[in-house]
Amino acid sequence: MEHDPLQKKDWVEISHSSNLEGSRALVPIELGKHQYILFRDDEGYLGLIGRNCPHRGADLCYGRLEDNGIRCPFHGWHFDRTGQCIEQPAEPVGSKMHTQIKVPMVPVIEMDGIIYAKMPGSEKAE
Amino acid sequence: MISQQLNDQITLIGPDDDAGLLLRQYWQPAALCDDIAFGLPFAVNLLSEQLALVKDRSGFKLVTRLLDENYSPTVIPPAEEIEIDIDGPTYPTVQKNGVIFAYLGSGEPPEFPSFDCFRAPNTHVFAFKGLWRCNWLQALEVGIDPAHASFLHRFLQDEDPMEGYGKQFRDTAANTDIPMTKILREYPRPEILVDETEYGLKITALRHMKNDLTHVRVTNQIFPQAICIPMSREMTITQWHVPIDNENCYWYSVFTSFDKPVNKRLMREQRLQEHTVPDYAPRKNAENNYNYDPREQKFETYTGMGLDINVHDQWAVEGMGPIQDRTQEHLGRSDVAIIRYRRMLRQAIADLRSHKLDQLPMKHYATSKIKGPLSNDAITKTSNWEKASQAVDFDRRNLCPWDASI
Repeated sequence: MEHDPLQKKDWVEISHSSNLEGSRALVPIELGKHQYILFRDDEGYLGLIGRNCPHRGADLCYGRLEDNGIRCPFHGWHFDRTGQCIEQPAEPVGSKMHTQIKVPMVPVIEMDGIIYAKMPGSEKAE
Repeated sequence: MISQQLNDQITLIGPDDDAGLLLRQYWQPAALCDDIAFGLPFAVNLLSEQLALVKDRSGFKLVTRLLDENYSPTVIPPAEEIEIDIDGPTYPTVQKNGVIFAYLGSGEPPEFPSFDCFRAPNTHVFAFKGLWRCNWLQALEVGIDPAHASFLHRFLQDEDPMEGYGKQFRDTAANTDIPMTKILREYPRPEILVDETEYGLKITALRHMKNDLTHVRVTNQIFPQAICIPMSREMTITQWHVPIDNENCYWYSVFTSFDKPVNKRLMREQRLQEHTVPDYAPRKNAENNYNYDPREQKFETYTGMGLDINVHDQWAVEGMGPIQDRTQEHLGRSDVAIIRYRRMLRQAIADLRSHKLDQLPMKHYATSKIKGPLSNDAITKTSNWEKASQAVDFDRRNLCPWDASI
């Protein structure tokens, strides 16, 4: 199977599905030197995105899981599972700034209760 | 986003660094007067220098400590373990309303401005401090960011304002019965105006409400690294963000009452429940996840970290890392005061580098004549907001038991 992570060296195990059960569907993940958060959105999909808010660097590990994504508690910037900024509620009405803001995102796959991430930088090797 | 070089220039505070040289041109809070009770010499870690507060015949001064091998910037060693380096630099100090200020720079120290926190009698002020494990600039920048209060400090339910003595945002707003927490929550998109002043920046946040009413909140940046903000109708907070080293800082706050004498015992007790002494380290911190509770975050507070807004701010600034990586930031319109402040800071650094000392803000001959600053909340007809804000300030000063006239 082409996307079977067990067959590919560039997919690494990062967590277990059970870590996202219970009171909070979010865990911090370290990949190489970079910090990420892994979370499950309202639709049940996983997102693995950069840990620091691209606004002023607040720690999204304590973000609010709501509106099918993660919201930074500092100024309410809201991101979906791809890292795309969806909303900046303190910016003027009609501002399109959010369309230009994206947190780094790493593809993930979940199989048999194990979550794998595609190692950053492995894209070119494909 | 800014370059790494520029981020270094505006954050690093060693004796040869640009921002370090600039901050040394101003009086810096070095200790609380309450700290003397811990015994002298009292260790003071300030601007990456290891110092100690001592008293001799001429009064209090800062001397240099011999460094011990267990040195940590955030640990205050007991008096009996302190050894003085008699060949090291010494610095003058001045006591002002509960805070011991020190001057670590070259040349003449500036005069103190006649701000309310210095003019008020000792009965009407209370001073406290707290440790944040991050660079001073990101700590200051939270204080000149009026939008964050609508999110970071959001309460999903309002407390009884009568229970809010000595705490931020627990009063009703201006002359209404609307809790401040409700206004911040319901109007998260303030219009922010920034005016350059003789002391720094006047920052006005306008929250346009229903029925042609506007909530006006005026806060201030006091150059180089303080803010003055309203706490309640009765009190303001003047707060300095003082570097311990590049990656740690203390906030020093002087609470100033325009009405009744401050209940210092209660104010200190409230804060000692949240801090250890003599290091003033917060009991909630990164090691215990700031007591984060996902259930509370869902139903009660925006952060899930309790009702103390100091903890929210501490989380916001410490979570950025020891020195915020501003090469990755994206400032928006809500950051207008931060952008203006950095411009002032860079200009002052440039003036200092070219020895134009008389160009530096708050260093000139008339500094001692600067009064105020206006720092309050008002709710008013939208067309009249500027006058109404001044009228609220005038009334408070008029009724004040000490001379707060401007």
